[in-house]
Amino acid sequence: MLNRINAPELTIPGNLHITDAIIGKLSNGTPYITTNSGTQEVIKIDLVFEAGSAYSTHPIIASGCNSLIEEGSGKLNSAEISEMLDQYGAYFGTESGNDFATISLYTTGKFIHQTLPVLKIILTEPTFSQEEIDTYSMQCKQRLAVNMNKVDFLARRNFLNALYGDNHPLGIITEASDFDKLNKESLLSFYDKNYRNKLRAVVVAGKTNTVQEEEIKQVINNLNFQHSNANYNTHIDILKPKNLSISKKDSVQAAIRIGKKMFNRKHEDYFDFTILNTILGGYFGSRLMSNIREDKGFTYGIGSGLATDINDGYFFISTEVGASVVNEALKEIYFEVERLQNEIVPEEELNLVKNYLFGSFQRSIDGVFALSDRHKTLHLNNLTSEHYLNYINRLKSITADDIRMCAQKHFEKSSFNEVVVGP
Amino acid sequence: MINFEKFELANGLKVIVHEDKSTPLVAMNILYMVGARDEDPDQTGFAHLFEHLMFGGSINIPSYDEPLQKAGGENNAFTNNDFTNYYLTIPAANLETGFWLESDRMLSLAFTEKSLEVQKNVVIEEFRQRYLNQPYGDAWLKLRPLAYKVHPYQWATIGKEVAHIENASLQDVKNFFKKWYAPNNAILTLSGNCSLERAKELCKKWFEPIHSVNLIERNLPKEPIQTEMRRLEISADVPSNQLYLAFHCCSRYDNDFYATDLLSDVLSRGKSSRLYQQLVKDKKLFTDIGAYMLGDLDNSLILIEGKISDGVNPKEAEDAVFDVIEELKKGISDKELEKIKNKTYSTLLFSEMSIASKALNLAYYEMLGDADLANQQETIYNSIESSDILSIANSVLIKENCSVLTYLSNHHA
Repeated sequence: MLNRINAPELTIPGNLHITDAIIGKLSNGTPYITTNSGTQEVIKIDLVFEAGSAYSTHPIIASGCNSLIEEGSGKLNSAEISEMLDQYGAYFGTESGNDFATISLYTTGKFIHQTLPVLKIILTEPTFSQEEIDTYSMQCKQRLAVNMNKVDFLARRNFLNALYGDNHPLGIITEASDFDKLNKESLLSFYDKNYRNKLRAVVVAGKTNTVQEEEIKQVINNLNFQHSNANYNTHIDILKPKNLSISKKDSVQAAIRIGKKMFNRKHEDYFDFTILNTILGGYFGSRLMSNIREDKGFTYGIGSGLATDINDGYFFISTEVGASVVNEALKEIYFEVERLQNEIVPEEELNLVKNYLFGSFQRSIDGVFALSDRHKTLHLNNLTSEHYLNYINRLKSITADDIRMCAQKHFEKSSFNEVVVGP
Repeated sequence: MINFEKFELANGLKVIVHEDKSTPLVAMNILYMVGARDEDPDQTGFAHLFEHLMFGGSINIPSYDEPLQKAGGENNAFTNNDFTNYYLTIPAANLETGFWLESDRMLSLAFTEKSLEVQKNVVIEEFRQRYLNQPYGDAWLKLRPLAYKVHPYQWATIGKEVAHIENASLQDVKNFFKKWYAPNNAILTLSGNCSLERAKELCKKWFEPIHSVNLIERNLPKEPIQTEMRRLEISADVPSNQLYLAFHCCSRYDNDFYATDLLSDVLSRGKSSRLYQQLVKDKKLFTDIGAYMLGDLDNSLILIEGKISDGVNPKEAEDAVFDVIEELKKGISDKELEKIKNKTYSTLLFSEMSIASKALNLAYYEMLGDADLANQQETIYNSIESSDILSIANSVLIKENCSVLTYLSNHHA
């Protein structure tokens, strides 16, 4: 008779294998990072620039520049450029964060030869025409207007403003009128300063052969961009934790954000805090999910996380709950936070989280794009794959006492900001 | 190209194995052929609520998630109008834990009152978060009954209304399980570090003892042909106007699916596509617009969705969409056809990047009739000619086949 009651024997994960990326250099000194694996004939080329919002007077200049680079170059207008790329099933991805801005080309081995030149075209002579700026800013304004009706969006932006204040790119509250700041001069000057002169790294993922590799390098070398790997200094205001309650009438749910300024992956407590965060709200079986969703049914989802950039980081708990249960939900959130400070995590739960995180790390490097992204993150933070090996080692050695100490150190209730947006 | 092996257990469970030794993981995907279209019109949202209950403990195992996470695994699920899909990824060494968990919940659930009560609340919060508390969130809930008068596609997977979820009883849940959750109504795929032999051995041990059921033949009402344009206007507290056009088209099983899919691509695939270039970039009537085919298993829809620019008359915007459609009917150049085929080629490649997506693809195509269809898609799409696409455009993209939902902002009134 088959025993369906007891779980099959588990193998506790042993050592982790991470396929290393190959790190070379372009002629101007820019790191050139390749992860050449996978079975599909797909290629992704990321050009990473020191052109995030930290380098701009207002975040919309950085994000606007990033989005508008592909909308016209030299004599070619936006339609002609998209046509050149669409014709071969390729597309550009753009991403603009606090530290970096990225322009990515997604293409296939079959058509890389036809699509690479388009990458060169858009980066060489972006026009930032008034017409494209107007279309873009109209799209942004409409999106903002829609977002202003979402409790989750309102909670997030007020929370970040409470943490960072009005003088930090993460804290700035964008109003519709801010998009009028976008103009050809400001975008061109940002492009000259931060794209032409601040190529941070080139990251290539996918199945490429040596001919294609050479072609990629040649195209990027011919851009004649300058390499840069310089940190920036941000002035961070010291702000007192806030409790904000913002009214959004007629909403059937309220959004909650709780958290504080924290640190990034270089901090000595980073690994411990990552594991602590997982127990609190970092996976489906977390304490917040088990209590507030699976036991009480107050929400569709609740989670917590640590967002990091190269200088800094912040911790947050976020959820949307039924409008009538806001106070109960808040009470349960703080109950779970305090429980981690006061009680030792049971061995069974800690082991579960360790195994889960180990599997989760393996999942995060499944697929060549995912693996390449991991190498990119390491590189941009000036770290090596030793960082992940250290993480796995810490995962093995951390004790329930370490977790409690970490919670006591960082989960002081009076240090938390709390933002509630609801009816 | 995804290489695979296929076998079937005596109880009717179909199993597909794609072995990939380069990964330390295995993805396990179980697709049950039951969706929102199989619901009673007075008990909608049930297939999806049921998906939530599948995590509330099974007959021999009180918790699904805990042992899976302990084995380093992670899982999720989704429900649509046609099927319900469950998937997990787990370190290969612990794959048997996945078999233990999945086979036990196929055998029977725990069916506890507590789990039902909590998951009803969770799903109601999901209803509020995704459909009621979002601007335009209920557009689909309004558009479906406009386009479908008799077929169950007239309701969304979340259900017609919150009350249907509130009223679900434990007996309803049990009946639903007995009717649909059985090995002969499921497809199991494994993708990753698992050999065919190991898959056979584990399937025999854990799944073969589960009995098959007598499946009742699905007999859904056929949607009558639409003969005149339908209109609905909603005025609400939203920042700007949006336009939704729904056209009836063929099912995913139909040979015309491929030409229909490419037709929606001609309209809106990529920034150089007709709708985007003409209506967003040139005329600036919309700030964004897209078209896609839903690909449902019964008669499906092509949907055009656009965000109308502030200050533009919604009727003028709508007329402009029909102008683009009429122009398309005049012809598609060889270059344009090649463009959308190249797009399809790269999309197919990009959809096979992870072991989990390969497992889902194989299960999906097996549901359509043959897992190997996953490897034939490129060839089939390549065989489509401009005339095929135009013929679909002429029969599908016509006003009498269209349902128009105009979502108006009362700020502009």
